[in-house]
Amino acid sequence: MTKVSDMAQPPLSDVFIEMADTLVDDFDVLDFLHTLTERCVELLGVTAAGLMLTDGAGNLQVVAASSERTRLLELFQLQTDEGPCVDCFRTGTAVSVDDLTTARRWPRFTTAASQAGFAAVHALPMKLRTEVIGALNLFETEPGALDQEKLRVGQALADIATVGLLQQRAIHARDVLTEQLQAALNSRVLIEQAKGLLAERLQIDVAQAFTILRSTARNHNRKLSDLAQALVDGTERVQA
Amino acid sequence: MPISDRRLQLWDLVVEQARGSPAAVGHVGAVGIAVVCVDATAVAVTLAASPREVVYTSDQVAEELEELTMTLGEGPGVDALTDGPALAADLNDTSCQLRWPMFAPAAVALGVRAVFALPLQVGGIHLGVLDLYRSEPGSLDREQFTDALLLADTACALLLDAGVGAGDGRRPEEAGLQHPEVHQATGMIVAQIGVSAAIALVRLRAYAYAHDQRLRDVAANVVARRLRFPPETRAATDPGDHHSA
Repeated sequence: MTKVSDMAQPPLSDVFIEMADTLVDDFDVLDFLHTLTERCVELLGVTAAGLMLTDGAGNLQVVAASSERTRLLELFQLQTDEGPCVDCFRTGTAVSVDDLTTARRWPRFTTAASQAGFAAVHALPMKLRTEVIGALNLFETEPGALDQEKLRVGQALADIATVGLLQQRAIHARDVLTEQLQAALNSRVLIEQAKGLLAERLQIDVAQAFTILRSTARNHNRKLSDLAQALVDGTERVQA
Repeated sequence: MPISDRRLQLWDLVVEQARGSPAAVGHVGAVGIAVVCVDATAVAVTLAASPREVVYTSDQVAEELEELTMTLGEGPGVDALTDGPALAADLNDTSCQLRWPMFAPAAVALGVRAVFALPLQVGGIHLGVLDLYRSEPGSLDREQFTDALLLADTACALLLDAGVGAGDGRRPEEAGLQHPEVHQATGMIVAQIGVSAAIALVRLRAYAYAHDQRLRDVAANVVARRLRFPPETRAATDPGDHHSA
């Protein structure tokens, strides 16, 4: 896969067209959310991006991240208890920490984020009307605020992620939203199982396994979760 | 209340329901009636031999609805086996009638207006479904839904740990644990010993139980390749015997 740093920033319109194209097709929600976090990194010039969703019981869980590095995933997951993402989720408003070294509010989170080399973090709410369903989390290695324009684009991307989650079905009912959120969270677990399986079979690490899983799905025009299920069921194999 | 405390409370109710016998999924179903405020519950499991085996029904109505689901091959309880929760707040709604054209009217005729079917699943592992039935229409509120999810997770854990330390009253570890290593380790064990994902998870949990370690710690060792299944000290030719490892 092409590295983000090797690529020029894509025009904003291209990204929105890509997302819209995906949404009208039969698509895999996790693959879609993963792409979205990658586009966040490219468009907003941040170091890493991740999406956290509520599990229906008020906890946040990671569903997609621009990199599957374990340390990064752990950093997102740490925010189950405390951190800008949780605050953003609870209040439904954006939370920005321009300099982690001066932030006192989340001692465990800020320590871990600093150790991982991050200097600033931003969280944007994923909202459907009055309901907050999660947050888009952006990490920066340099301190500083995100400018207004980038915040607007980031919020638009968070909104697209919300729409993507609601997929084909009517979105008026809260029950439908609950069903979709649960299905997305379970897909994430499925992806982890498939990552482990591939990592062991090909003797690679789990982050590499994710890359192979995703590119195989793409190359064969398969939904990421369908391929993952077939691997876990043992009905299909993937070559390195 | 923190979710972990609620989980404990619900487990106590399940144990109470079991009245001294080993806790089983049926007890979870019985607890569901009171805490989620429904009228009837049922638990169906998926076995290799049959796609849907009803293992618990709280009463006659639940039994009839399970039979209906089985006969028609549709309904929230079918969708939840593979697609995640299926929440039908009012079976008379057009959306429900369209989604389950045969099941919805038939269930209403049996006096049921709302069905909440929760999958007993861990990622790609599909163990069964917990069906909650209510004669009054209406969505579950947030607390009820949370309790239903916690009960479904408890049922999963009981199914996975059946035969492991059964009856010693220890609370099983969460099935849908939020630690990705647990699920990665499950996948790795599938590749290591060539079993289904369900069996891989059963063995991972059994190992943690037998060694009195946290599931996530055992899983982290598997992912870091410090632990293999079967462990290298055991005969590699004997992959079938792992519960004792």
